[in-house]
Amino acid sequence: MLIEFELIEKAKNGDDGAFNQMVQAYRKRILGTIARLIGKPEDVEDVGQEVFLRLYYSLDQLRAAEVFEPWLYRLTVNAAYDYLRRQKRRHEHRMSDLSEQQVMMADASAGGKQQAEEDRRTKIREMVHSLLDKVSEEDRILLMMKEVEGLSLKELEKIYKVNENALKVRLFRARQRVLKAFESHE
Amino acid sequence: MERMDQGSTNDKLDALFAQYREACPDREASAGFMPHLWEQIETRRSAVSSSWFRLWAQVWLVATVTLAIVIGGILIPRLENPPAYQASYVDVLTAADSANDAVVLPSGGNE
Repeated sequence: MLIEFELIEKAKNGDDGAFNQMVQAYRKRILGTIARLIGKPEDVEDVGQEVFLRLYYSLDQLRAAEVFEPWLYRLTVNAAYDYLRRQKRRHEHRMSDLSEQQVMMADASAGGKQQAEEDRRTKIREMVHSLLDKVSEEDRILLMMKEVEGLSLKELEKIYKVNENALKVRLFRARQRVLKAFESHE
Repeated sequence: MERMDQGSTNDKLDALFAQYREACPDREASAGFMPHLWEQIETRRSAVSSSWFRLWAQVWLVATVTLAIVIGGILIPRLENPPAYQASYVDVLTAADSANDAVVLPSGGNE
């Protein structure tokens, strides 16, 4: 836990200062998770705002301060899922999101070694996103939470409120699909 | 052999996920993150309170209209239709009382 239970209780009781402290403690981690889940840097803050907005208005439903983190992750997963579904509906393509000016600026600002490193990272990101496109949004998020965010099955059980065996089966199937795509890619 | 191949692909996929984690590190929020968040909270808060106000106003309006209909339905017909008896209860009592007096008084006058 990044914060004291007392702070959560204060925020639950309507202390805006305590809520502010909570957001400041978790925003970096949550924005990082969102960035990895949705893969669009330009939309990360919007989704992050949605997460904390939902947190603010649902905090009174939190049963105990001990389950705060799974609760926050659940809100994050739901907001990312909603975002991905909206994106799918709009049929947007990753590259078309970048304006011509943004592409030119990225090209101009990059140089030498730094550019090579950024290229490598971009390739990895694109590779992972193309592999994860082979599974549904739900499975994509579940797989990410397990494989990239490093959450345990116990933690995922708390977030998804589904039993461990069902999660294992779902994860196995999703991973098999990604693995197949990965093999054919190699 | 196939199992070994799949094992190595599994390892490669794990490595790819680890590299992805590294390629997308946790990120700092922009300076406008907190102010914008509070702005959104306030906007929703005022929207919620105004919708509560609207709901209360609607409840009171419905209650007032219902009351007006009930009053109109019960009282107006009573006012419009005069009662079957023209004389009041007091008039009837007075009349009955004066009739009794007429019987009693003459006997006192003869003594």
